[in-house]
Amino acid sequence: MAPPLQDDIYELVREPINTSLLASHVRAAEDGATVTFDGYVRNQSHNRPTLYLDYEAYESMALAKMREIGAQLHEKYRVHRVAMVHRLGRLEIGETSVFIAVSAAHRAAAFDACRFAIDTLKRTVPIWKKEYFEDGAVWADGELPPAPAATRRAKPAS
Amino acid sequence: MLLALPIRAGYNSYVASVSQTVRVKVLFFGRLKEVAGRSEDALEISEAATIEQLFALYAERHPELAKFRSSLVASCNEEFAAWGTPLHSGDEVAFLPPVSGG
Repeated sequence: MAPPLQDDIYELVREPINTSLLASHVRAAEDGATVTFDGYVRNQSHNRPTLYLDYEAYESMALAKMREIGAQLHEKYRVHRVAMVHRLGRLEIGETSVFIAVSAAHRAAAFDACRFAIDTLKRTVPIWKKEYFEDGAVWADGELPPAPAATRRAKPAS
Repeated sequence: MLLALPIRAGYNSYVASVSQTVRVKVLFFGRLKEVAGRSEDALEISEAATIEQLFALYAERHPELAKFRSSLVASCNEEFAAWGTPLHSGDEVAFLPPVSGG
């Protein structure tokens, strides 16, 4: 059964993310709840004042992985629509870097799915951020995605 | 053996029959891009070489790369891949540091 992804949105953008538009996109008459996650740039990292962040991605793979997460949301939870957008390039303090909106008939599915989506994105989607400070820049500590141990994985037949 | 005396074969076909290579595209991201001094490369590597051997080739050219080996994952054609994955012609291999999106 193919997951109903056609009404979903998965995007990498270089402009500011229109969060209210995405939140309203997932909203439909048959739904009763939308949960959104708005991730934005904090003004400090480990107590060092941050100037700005710069995000880069393995864009084609990142989009494929974001769609994979979306497919998992439809399989695991009773969700209706998903919007998942990550911004790349230079972001200033307070600007949204990632936005996820999930609609469902009931709140529990929407909460659970949104939490799963951002946690999985942060662990598996090939996106990196560099943090710029007054006295230099560092690549942020990240999470190592789980990789298959031995054999080449077959492409999922989706 | 048939291959022992390729009298009629041209030079190229003879070479191909003993030493087959595959052409792969290689991508570096995040701090690896800075260490390798490039984001993208294309090279010929012997057929049946693995992703591990491909990385070792770059680590020879850029010795600083070696210390990142234990803290990165590889992908092949946009899927996370085991280090022992054998390479085929046209494969796109990427070396990915710990991800930090969000």
